[in-house]
Amino acid sequence: MESKCSVNFKEGIAKIELSGKLDATNSPGLQAELQKLIGQTVARLVLFAKDLTYISSAGLRVIIFAKQKIGVNAQVYLIGAQETVLNVIKMSGLDNFMVIQDSYEE
Amino acid sequence: MEKLTLEAKLENLDKAVDFINQQAQLQGFDKKKINQIQLASEELLVNIINYAYPDKKGKFEITCSTKESKGLEVKIVDWGIAFNPLELPEPDTKAPLEERKIGGLGIYLVRNTMDETNYTRTGDSNIFTFVKY
Repeated sequence: MESKCSVNFKEGIAKIELSGKLDATNSPGLQAELQKLIGQTVARLVLFAKDLTYISSAGLRVIIFAKQKIGVNAQVYLIGAQETVLNVIKMSGLDNFMVIQDSYEE
Repeated sequence: MEKLTLEAKLENLDKAVDFINQQAQLQGFDKKKINQIQLASEELLVNIINYAYPDKKGKFEITCSTKESKGLEVKIVDWGIAFNPLELPEPDTKAPLEERKIGGLGIYLVRNTMDETNYTRTGDSNIFTFVKY
């Protein structure tokens, strides 16, 4: 699967669609997109991960970056993550600080 | 035993990880273990690509071999500055996101997914070996 990411920001909610791999090669692209949100008031960071097949520490770092630099007070949501991705999130303890759900209700 | 040598550049990451993945598949690992091997490989290779050669000119060499019939041993060698990733302090995985420090997460994932990890400095080379059963 092709690796893609897109960020959509509206009314305080940043929706981040992820597919394919979020690795050292692809993470800088997402980080650059998220950097554009610095200065905005972000209440929610919603990661749509249904089509994400792989994440490495480079991807985890972007999530940590997003929380620290964009939405210190934002709630982070992880939606529809596959087991392989969820395992890495759990191993790093990031799951304790996210709302993990199968689907997202507006 | 299969061997691959590449320039330590980010453009070569996919090629290197694919090579190791292929060996893992030949070894008959399930999807979960292949994913873990892929993860460990990326983390170690990215460290080399980013930090081993300050002038960005250098190589790494990957050797995959079967260990005790059902295991896979991956040896990654570089000739950059001496660096033992296993000496990095463990990240605090209990800390909330806003207090997280960025370093050490990659090697932590390697340690937590592989059955054996070993580092030696021999002459001018860093030799990192991991084994998955």
